[in-house]
Amino acid sequence: MLEIKPIFNALLRSKVGAVLLLIQIAITTAIVSNAAFIIKDRLDYLNQPTGYQEENMFKFNVMTFGTDVDLAQQAELDEASIRALPGVIDAVTINAIPLSGGGSSTSYRLKPAPEKAKSVNASYFTADEHALNTFGVELVEGRNFTESEVAHDLDNTQSANVALATKALMDELFPNGDGLGQVIYSGTKPYKVIGIVGMMKGPWMKLEERKDRSVIIPYVRIEKFNKFLVRTEPGRRAEVMQQIESLIHKNYSKRVVQDLAGLDKKKADYVAEDRLMMRMLVILISVLVLVTALGIFGLTLFNINKRTKQIGTRRALGARKSAIISYFVVENSLICIAGLVLGVCGAVLLGQQLMANYSVPALSNWYVAFTAIAVFVMSLLAVIGPARRAANIDPSIATRTI
Amino acid sequence: MFSHYIDLSWRSFKRTPLVSLLMVIAIGVGIGITMTSLSVYHMMSMDPIPEKSDKLHAVQLQIMDEESSWWTPDDLPYQLTYQDAESLQNADLPYKRTALMKSGFSVHLDSDKLQPFMAIGRLASRQAFEMFNLSFKHGAPWSAEQEESATPVAVISQSMSKKLFGTDNGVGKNFYLDDLNVQVTGVIADWQINIKYYDLNNGAFNEPEQIFLPFSLIKAYEIDTWGNTNGWKNEDLRNFTNKMQSEHVWLQFWIELNSEEDKKAFGDYLMNYMHEQKKLGRFERAKLEYGLKDVNEWITYFEVVNEDNKILVALSFMFLAVCLANILGLLLAKFLRRAPEVGVRRALGASKTQVFYQHIVEVAMLGLMGGLIGILVAQLGLWGIRHSYDYYSNLANMDLSMLFAAPVIAITACIVAGMYPAWLVCKTTPSIYLKSQ
Repeated sequence: MLEIKPIFNALLRSKVGAVLLLIQIAITTAIVSNAAFIIKDRLDYLNQPTGYQEENMFKFNVMTFGTDVDLAQQAELDEASIRALPGVIDAVTINAIPLSGGGSSTSYRLKPAPEKAKSVNASYFTADEHALNTFGVELVEGRNFTESEVAHDLDNTQSANVALATKALMDELFPNGDGLGQVIYSGTKPYKVIGIVGMMKGPWMKLEERKDRSVIIPYVRIEKFNKFLVRTEPGRRAEVMQQIESLIHKNYSKRVVQDLAGLDKKKADYVAEDRLMMRMLVILISVLVLVTALGIFGLTLFNINKRTKQIGTRRALGARKSAIISYFVVENSLICIAGLVLGVCGAVLLGQQLMANYSVPALSNWYVAFTAIAVFVMSLLAVIGPARRAANIDPSIATRTI
Repeated sequence: MFSHYIDLSWRSFKRTPLVSLLMVIAIGVGIGITMTSLSVYHMMSMDPIPEKSDKLHAVQLQIMDEESSWWTPDDLPYQLTYQDAESLQNADLPYKRTALMKSGFSVHLDSDKLQPFMAIGRLASRQAFEMFNLSFKHGAPWSAEQEESATPVAVISQSMSKKLFGTDNGVGKNFYLDDLNVQVTGVIADWQINIKYYDLNNGAFNEPEQIFLPFSLIKAYEIDTWGNTNGWKNEDLRNFTNKMQSEHVWLQFWIELNSEEDKKAFGDYLMNYMHEQKKLGRFERAKLEYGLKDVNEWITYFEVVNEDNKILVALSFMFLAVCLANILGLLLAKFLRRAPEVGVRRALGASKTQVFYQHIVEVAMLGLMGGLIGILVAQLGLWGIRHSYDYYSNLANMDLSMLFAAPVIAITACIVAGMYPAWLVCKTTPSIYLKSQ
């Protein structure tokens, strides 16, 4: 019915062209399925929930160079004046900015060092009682710390006794769920966990880095260089951000305001490399599919030109137009299927290589299957145009000489 | 003859414009994509200081105890403690060397003339400039006496001098870093490197610093690092003196060793130093180790060329292979179709070699055109990279070698692809085609 045998025989007579097409389809399938898989992996990473309303938050740094000022007092004053701005929900000076890629981390353990005990690495934030509200994250259990629990460390003598911890950290340290009220240690320093907060990312987003384990410690140590984090009412961030520099300078002039930026911007900067990789892969596979399609298109067109006389003869002998179209479609499909079989093997091999040499997760078979189907459809689309053109060849052409 | 072949090629191109264009575009896009990722790779892996990359060495010491470990392949920390950096800096050794530390300041002139701004600075020894091939436009490094007495002096870059004082020559002028009044002793040409090889620990592709200060100021003015500080044991650091005396690592150290003998001698010195320190209760491990890696080893050690880039380069070359298979198929079809014409040429006396040569010239021409298009595509791609990732703005560029490589790769690839079709067509037996005419 589909005249596979004569088509196959014809193919054997011009093996090289067919083999080349087959190789193209195989490599395309291998690349596209792996690249698509990496793209999906990056998309998941870029779109993971952070726990913050990034579009309503911003940060800035203040570097004071004047010496005729009490830095700690000035910071309190700055915080108060920012909180008083219309549209601001809360503001805080803090040691590290979430999602910025820069922060501090340490190990938290169930017993003080040097005793052997379960120990888990987590990022930590140090700020006053406004931190939780500025983050805008949910308190799942317990309570926030109070103003009186905040250690204002002026002379390197104060330290905090309590802390908030994320659920991710508590789940790991206390798998039975009885962590609230227990004491965790950083080195020898004890912290009683008085509250457990819901999902929030730390300064880092990569999952292998400390997952979502964070601790918020009521500790403030003001130095020449300070970071501020602010959360505003929805839609009012730009208006507040505009006033920051003049406000800070109005409060005290001998200082520099630097890196005033939305939290969404900080996050975008931090993930820029991954976004770039994703974009480059998207472009790579789009162009690759296009080139392969053009290759099929061009080759079919050439075959048709070469066989113009034969096609004319077949038509003159009574072959329908549909028979001519189906000839080219079947011919192409044969090559394509062979290419896909090879390509699927290639994709799995390439996936294994990538996994072995780089931190790429194991390739899911669905991606290979889906890519194979997509490449097949693409090849059909590429061949159908030239095939129709072949079908329109006038039978009378057969009767003429070249 | 060559020009005749080029003429023939051009005619052939025009005879099948669509397919010829397809081929040129396929090779152009393939080269473009490959060159885009290859250029970034090339910039990342390029030797930043080829004249002396084998002489400059980063120093590492195994400071940790038996129980601690580092994430490096050889378990050595990247950086040094302050005590060790200071000792090595002040030791009586015949080699040029420098401890390094990154810091940040608000820069101002204590007047309204200049809006205060933030800048990153680097603490170093006076030998650093000679070691890293930094050339002075004006003035000179601070003196040994100034370094010893921790005098607040600085060497700044040309751009920084312009920004601060409105002139290239800021030597002798004063400016403020926070509340510290410093005097400029020298102005260097802007440091232009793609990889900040001397401090890979704190952002390999960040811009080099434009303000340099004597290393001794760290202690005198308690200047803290703006780079990474890593601790491996539990120490309660209450103040800066604690930090300087601690086992936390936070400084880089580079030394210039001009021969294997120097390297050996300095290695012995380090072993000796660690043994001495061991007596004081430091360097607790039974097996004492040090690291001396030259610039290129250091860059490899840090895996500066990231995984994504390697994956992209690999995929790009596979992409180029697809483009070549594509072209090979099209060339085959195109050349074979011309077999009758070739038959006539052969019958009229053209030798096989001449026919082969003619076809190779034709594919080389396609390759050249593809290569030129490839450069355009690559420029577009690199522009896109610079646009979407600031951090790569110095890397996403084609230098001359890459610009030259594009058409060379394109032509070579095309000739390789065209070899088989050209050979097939030159094998043509004239008689067959003459008969059928």
